[in-house]
Amino acid sequence: MEIRPILSAMFRNKTGVVLVGLQIALTLAVVANAAFIIINRMDLINRPKGIDSDNILVVHSYGFGPTYDHLQTVQRDLDTLRAIPGVVAATSTNGIPMSGGGSQNAYGRTPEAAKTTTVSANIYELNEQGVAALGVKLIEGRVFTKEEVQYNPSPTNSDFAPAVILTKDMDHAIFGDEPALGKPIYDGLGQSAVVVGVIENMLGAWVGFDAPYRVLFTSRTASGPTGNYIVRTEPGRSNALIPEIEKKLSALNLPRAIAWVRPHSYFVEKSYRSDSRMVSYLGVIVVLMIVITALGIVGLASFQVNVRTKQIGTRRAVGATRSNIIRYFMVENWLLTTGGVVAGAVFAFAFGHWLSSAYALPRLDPMFVVAGSVLLLILGQLAVFVPARRAAAIPPAIATRTV
Amino acid sequence: MFTYHLRLAFKSLRRNPVLSALMIGAIALGVGVCSTTLTVYRLMSGNPIAHRNDVLYSVTVDNWDPARPWNEKRPDIAPMEIAYRDAMALGASKIPSRHVVMRKTTFVVDPSRTNGAKPFQVEARLATKDFFTMFDTPFLYGGGWDQAADDGAQNVVVLTRNTNQKTFGDVNSVGRTLQLDGRDYKVVGVLNEWNPSPKFYDLNNGAFDEPEELFVPLSVGAALELPPAGNVNCWRNEPLNSYTDLMNSDCVWHQFWVQLDNDEQVQSFRTLVDNYVRDQKALGRFPRPMNNHLYRPDEWLKHNRVVRNDNRVLVGLSFMFLAVCLLNMLGLLLAKFLGGAPLVGLRRALGASRSMIFRQHLVEVSVIGVAGGLLGVGLTVLGLLQIRTMYENYEGLTRVDFTMGVIAIAIALAAGIIAGLYPTWRVCRTQPASYLKTQ
Repeated sequence: MEIRPILSAMFRNKTGVVLVGLQIALTLAVVANAAFIIINRMDLINRPKGIDSDNILVVHSYGFGPTYDHLQTVQRDLDTLRAIPGVVAATSTNGIPMSGGGSQNAYGRTPEAAKTTTVSANIYELNEQGVAALGVKLIEGRVFTKEEVQYNPSPTNSDFAPAVILTKDMDHAIFGDEPALGKPIYDGLGQSAVVVGVIENMLGAWVGFDAPYRVLFTSRTASGPTGNYIVRTEPGRSNALIPEIEKKLSALNLPRAIAWVRPHSYFVEKSYRSDSRMVSYLGVIVVLMIVITALGIVGLASFQVNVRTKQIGTRRAVGATRSNIIRYFMVENWLLTTGGVVAGAVFAFAFGHWLSSAYALPRLDPMFVVAGSVLLLILGQLAVFVPARRAAAIPPAIATRTV
Repeated sequence: MFTYHLRLAFKSLRRNPVLSALMIGAIALGVGVCSTTLTVYRLMSGNPIAHRNDVLYSVTVDNWDPARPWNEKRPDIAPMEIAYRDAMALGASKIPSRHVVMRKTTFVVDPSRTNGAKPFQVEARLATKDFFTMFDTPFLYGGGWDQAADDGAQNVVVLTRNTNQKTFGDVNSVGRTLQLDGRDYKVVGVLNEWNPSPKFYDLNNGAFDEPEELFVPLSVGAALELPPAGNVNCWRNEPLNSYTDLMNSDCVWHQFWVQLDNDEQVQSFRTLVDNYVRDQKALGRFPRPMNNHLYRPDEWLKHNRVVRNDNRVLVGLSFMFLAVCLLNMLGLLLAKFLGGAPLVGLRRALGASRSMIFRQHLVEVSVIGVAGGLLGVGLTVLGLLQIRTMYENYEGLTRVDFTMGVIAIAIALAAGIIAGLYPTWRVCRTQPASYLKTQ
């Protein structure tokens, strides 16, 4: 098939060709970058959480009045929770993973290192069932013992409890490649605790942090009067247990209110809300753009068919077959889309470069431009098929008509 | 004449309904997407205290770690909050006409004596008395408290309308008492609906969260050692084993705003802050270089990066989408107008001037633009409603208002005319005779 006559025929209607070519170019630029951002965000959202989030419930209780005894309340609450059928483990805690809120402190392997280090951990004050309640995997050492769990009734204190458990990332950040088990770890005030266990990485409170897996468990019961409990249930039973937990804890008739019992997924969704929102918006824009461009291609092709009716008829009259006509339009579209895609690739990289420097987004991966180009080429061919069929249906007799 | 043009325009659109629908649809989609993202962007970048923007200032000082800045990624900036001792010291100055030192805490509200409901926990704001006058909060009943209440750490409270309803019902509760954390507090005021969006006065825990549910004098917080409920950030390795330790520390956990009514006051206050920091340096505090700033509300919002990069990227992409829609419409218009060239040739032969043809086609393009704009407004409403259902706390951001509608239609009209100029010009250039020769 001769390309030259197709090209010269194409350029006789320069405007239409330029218009559709520009549409394709712009669409590729936007779609490649948008798809890249979408995949990036989805990777972020799908990072392993490290905890058994689907089966965790979080309870928020607050005491009031002069008769409220926080430690007693916690002990009775934990006994009650652990006795509920379907509950695997329960712990009190000062904060909730992936909730956007919590405590953080800096630690080092020596007192001097701790005073100047930038390595800080997201802290969870947990008891002997802490590891079980979060469902994290213990890879070295042991969990806390009941005796190790301390309590300080004052909410303002700088205590550092005797035993800590570190995530893998925290372990490496403090001790490098050396084994951490059994070694002391120091806070900025020179106090120390012994590393009794190492767990698989879990996400801390702030999912957007650069080092979000640096987490430390300390063997304490968090002080009140506000208290949180992390309750792990048997798979699939957590939603059903919410009303039962509320009922059983309220029935203890203590001077406190149960503010809410929420599945952990509530916090996960909140943490990733802006990212999943970006994914939705970008998805809508991508789909709409592809649809509009496809319609543009169909529109141009139909217009071409109309304008060149006589010409097509003449070609048929001198011997072109239907499939020749169809092939003509398909090749013409292929050339047009290729031109648009080449220009679009340049736009895409330019746009991507600008996005990454102006808005601190990661650098565009060329694979997305390639994939987008292939998609648009296929789309173009599909879009032009129906008008091409219509063109092929033009009878040769048109060539001889003057009306 | 204009109605004649209009009639012809509608006739022309009806002649080719599919094409017209496509063109109107293309504009509607482009405009719908653009004005949705623009509306969200506009409301996100709004300044709810714009009418007092010239006199209010948020104060930051850099008492942070000599070894590293407050924010490694923005090493020039000072902490976003201020230490208790610095806020109280600077707040004692007589230079500002008003000032407020404040922070968050929580209370357990026990309305069992007032309406029998069960106790519930609320987020509360502890502030000095000028909070209400400085930030122009609307009162439904009563007002704020006075200096005596601040000085004496009196147990008084200002409720929001919502909290008033939850505790006393929809009545004027001023003068009555409410139990907070087991103590009686006298209600001195009830705020009317107030939801500044963004929450400019404290952006630390959610720029678009609702305001706190009740307000109590700051001094009560110190007297009763009420725990902090916002961000508390410390850098110094100092033991914090009592509330007094926290109050005297270099931990930042308060917000500090002043009202300075003229340039003189601004200059004097800046000097005062600088002198204070120098004095503190002599005592061994403030080891970092001087970095004291006053931010007006609009500057404060920008400084806190309330509008995220994601929002800007979305607005940019929407306009690129609009460009594609425009190109699309341009192509369709070109096809349509050139296809209607024979009719134009006939009209020219019958005496229509070029400018008349030009106007005719512009009117047709404008009709498409306005129709697309109206449909686009509908799509925008749908888009904003969808956003609102997906995410709570977005009520303020997705307000469907008149300005948005006007913007949408204006964009559509402009888009239509821009897209229509070239095809209109092309069709006016044609020679009528060529179309009259053959069919």
